[in-house]
Amino acid sequence: MLAHALNVLLSGVFHAAILFLVAAGLQLVFGVQRIFNLACGSFYALGAYFGVSTVTVLTGAGLPRPLFIVALVAGGIAVAAVGPVVERLLRFVYDRDETFQLLLTFAVVLMMEDILRIVWGTAPTSTGGLYLIYGQVRALGVTVPVYNLIVIAAGIAIALLMGYMLARTRFGRIIRAAAENREMSEALGVNMRVVYVKVFTLGTMLGTLGGALVIPSTAAMSEMGIDLIVEAFAVVVIGGLGSMRGALAGALVVGVLRAVAISTWPELEMLLIYLIVIAVLVFRPRGLFGAAAA
Amino acid sequence: MKARIAVAAFALAVLAVPQLGRDYYSILMLSFFAYATVLLGLNLLFGYGGLLSFGHALFIGIGAYAAAVLTGKLGVLHMEAILLVAVAASVLVAAPVGALCVRYVKIYFGMLTLAFGMLFYSFLLKFYHLTGGDEGMRVLRPTLLGFDLSATPKVQFLIGPYYYYSAAVLAVAAFVMWRIVASPFGLCLKSIRENPTKAESLGISVNRYRWYAFVISAAYGGVGGALLGPTTGQVDPNLAYWTHSGNLVFMTLLGGFTHFFGPVLGAFVFIYLQDAVMSVVSYWRLVFGAILAVLVIFVPGGLVGLVTGRGVRPGIKAMRESPR
Amino acid sequence: MKTSRRQFLKTVGAAAVGSGVLGAPAVLRAQTKRGVPSDPVKIGVLAIRAGVAAPVGAAGQRGVEWWADRVNKAGGILGRKVELVLEEESSPKDTVERFRKLVLQTKVDVISGGISTAVGLALGPVTEELGTIWLSWDATTQNGVEETIPKPKWAFRSVDNEAEAVGGAILTAKHFKGIKTVAGINNDYSYGRDCWATFMAALKRYTPDVKPVLDLWPKLGVTDFSSHIAAIQQAKPDLLMSSFWSGDTTIIMKQAAAVGLFKTMKACFTTGGGVHDSLKKDFTPEGLILGYNSMYFNHVGASPLLKQFVREYKAKYNEYPPYECDHAYFTVEAYKAAVEKAYAAAGQWPAKEQIVKALEGIEVESLSGRRGYREDHIMMCNFYQGVTTHKNEFDFVTIDPVEVLPTSRIQKPAGSKLYDWINSWRV
Repeated sequence: MLAHALNVLLSGVFHAAILFLVAAGLQLVFGVQRIFNLACGSFYALGAYFGVSTVTVLTGAGLPRPLFIVALVAGGIAVAAVGPVVERLLRFVYDRDETFQLLLTFAVVLMMEDILRIVWGTAPTSTGGLYLIYGQVRALGVTVPVYNLIVIAAGIAIALLMGYMLARTRFGRIIRAAAENREMSEALGVNMRVVYVKVFTLGTMLGTLGGALVIPSTAAMSEMGIDLIVEAFAVVVIGGLGSMRGALAGALVVGVLRAVAISTWPELEMLLIYLIVIAVLVFRPRGLFGAAAA
Repeated sequence: MKARIAVAAFALAVLAVPQLGRDYYSILMLSFFAYATVLLGLNLLFGYGGLLSFGHALFIGIGAYAAAVLTGKLGVLHMEAILLVAVAASVLVAAPVGALCVRYVKIYFGMLTLAFGMLFYSFLLKFYHLTGGDEGMRVLRPTLLGFDLSATPKVQFLIGPYYYYSAAVLAVAAFVMWRIVASPFGLCLKSIRENPTKAESLGISVNRYRWYAFVISAAYGGVGGALLGPTTGQVDPNLAYWTHSGNLVFMTLLGGFTHFFGPVLGAFVFIYLQDAVMSVVSYWRLVFGAILAVLVIFVPGGLVGLVTGRGVRPGIKAMRESPR
Repeated sequence: MKTSRRQFLKTVGAAAVGSGVLGAPAVLRAQTKRGVPSDPVKIGVLAIRAGVAAPVGAAGQRGVEWWADRVNKAGGILGRKVELVLEEESSPKDTVERFRKLVLQTKVDVISGGISTAVGLALGPVTEELGTIWLSWDATTQNGVEETIPKPKWAFRSVDNEAEAVGGAILTAKHFKGIKTVAGINNDYSYGRDCWATFMAALKRYTPDVKPVLDLWPKLGVTDFSSHIAAIQQAKPDLLMSSFWSGDTTIIMKQAAAVGLFKTMKACFTTGGGVHDSLKKDFTPEGLILGYNSMYFNHVGASPLLKQFVREYKAKYNEYPPYECDHAYFTVEAYKAAVEKAYAAAGQWPAKEQIVKALEGIEVESLSGRRGYREDHIMMCNFYQGVTTHKNEFDFVTIDPVEVLPTSRIQKPAGSKLYDWINSWRV
């Protein structure tokens, strides 16, 4: 019984780690720029596909297989270069109504879908058996792939890093100030344009990194980004729009609840997420950690 | 007035299309009639009310499934009954959903509507004993104004009686909507969009009016969905998926949400453009995404905005940081 | 009719690849037979391009394209060049529109394609109302067909949904002894539900006291099964049954290997062969039942045609062909054979009704072997399933032994109901 509960918890936390990365990217961008980036799922997919390519190319060129994770992370970070490009596009509509910004991100979603298809085709792409290369851990009757633990650890590490950055570094202070009061920050001499590019790129990088990290355990498939958006959106609603702690809390709630639902009442799995989102938006619209706002 | 002439000319052209002998393009017009109806409703919410719904396809789904349930399961073939039930069902769902959603604006409204749309989609997929699941349900040929036309070959039915029937439904819907936006109600809606606080202080119940707009737009969505059903002959959960809602907003923006007939034009252009592009280009999503991006950035007033030279109305810019 | 740039490039490309000489059409035209028009035969092709089933659509399209190249190189159908008109299969509403365009606007002679169930159900009545021959690749389902296309005149359907599940059950009973409890993980839609129900019903005929202990229904496109695997581990079944046919097969295989799931239970993947070359030896154990639907690329009894196809497919796409290639190839090859057969009787290019008549009961040499259409417009072919092995020269698993299961054995006969038929078996 304990073994099963642990199993469920671990699988939920693994899923939550990935969700957190994507949601953190979303939160960062929303918190500072007030843009709900529908293309976060596309960045996730991009990171996944690019991660596979990087690993394939580098291991083919002689990188020892156990070091594949280095190639993966490098690929995930490198492809965030697409962030500034998309931000440049969004810059056109910063002074417009939110609805236009949302629509522009929808346009990016459409374009990205086909770009991914053009570059990588539609066949499921993965890193093959590299997922298993680190072996497993057996404890308390549970078998866990070491790779899953690495991803969970990476998620925690990144969460801590983000927390530290936001609380202790100058850039973090600027981000928080800009999130609180854009005009005031600008008046105080902050170059918002530069901040926006940095924030958006960082947000993109979290998403691409999430996609890259998850890919060894799964496979990159056509339209994977479109499906993820709805889950990511549930995470930020539950956690509270604009809050990093909210991303973490929301990801854990969604990840673990989903795992529990699958084990106890599988019928409910799909509906559960939407019902919770609606319940949160109705009873506590600011989510667990969100700022009190409309 | 220029607009009136354009509309009259367009109406005449619409009536003439089936006579041109290009059956496929005549059938495509049926999609146009349905989507134009839906968008007239959506624009009440968006263009006049300032609320962007990312889940409006929910009501298309309700209307379409109403047609399927009535014709396929209950044996009720009267198109008039189908339209009535579609409106009733949409209103029934929109009342509580709208009451919830209109309390929020902007992003939250969009997100809530998206969630409800996806909830309905999941329901359609999951409860397959009721809804047919991924297979969907079939829609039988309805009777129009009591006339049983089942002897007519389907294509002739579609480009003949059903064509003019749908066109008439759109005309009636457009007329009704015209009256609505010109009425005091419509004016109140516009004032709410421009400045909700001021409107509230003038005694207009902001949430109440938004709710009315939501329910009316839902009814229009249901009618459009019901019109779509017989053309395809099958309804499926994809009708309620969030990207379908996204396309509705795309069409509205394409035509131009600032003008009454903008969305109608948007539906027309979108449908024919999509048809042309899909046959030629395998990566049509890329093309359409690019078109949407160009629209949002450079031509936010849509095609109507280009024609009338109005671009973005000052009111929209002012919407930027307005409080709840 | 306007030839779009796309179509033009397609035919030029086909001719160029086939003959290596541009300008061949003039030569081909001169060779058309008596009573045969000189303009090309237009074949509409509906293929999925986006989403989880996109690889399946691509495979089918490639199969048809390979066929068209070969046929055009050999002079076409009765000397008439073949021209493919490609359209996308997506949602039922949009696909019905593309279908109508192919028939009414582009005026194709026949339409080949259709994979998803909902699309199949929608296209059936449309093809009947338009009076055009439609040869479906997949799009099979138990329910709804009796209502939507009770006695199809123009629609020719693929094999029934349940064939693979029946085959899987037969092989489970044959190769795995002592299966008392079964867990199922299938996609949450009609195909998944039908397969699970059929598998259990068929297995019960062999092992009457077999019990289902868990059934999971992840929707198509799920990419993480760790929670599902946890549930399966807790249920401790003797056998795991799955009808996954796309990338999720690879994913669950990988994630199962990571926790050693198949060390404690057997498994039957009825349709996993759809992604066969992604099932790497690294994480796919030996001893599982794996189904390749109606085409197995490595079959020891493979015809020279199949061998050539596999070779050229691998060279061009760097993948090994999955079964959808042959579903698609067969439809157009059958069309060609039917046209030729009807021509012999009519003395001129046959009318649609005559082609339909010739298609009923036809048998052709397809990539995987002999395939045909039954009188009631359902496909007849062989299914290939077997037990996974690592003894091969690839980096992915293959099957050995390869069990060849003809549809006469695993598909319900014309006019019968599935469960009545299963219950009537003599086991």
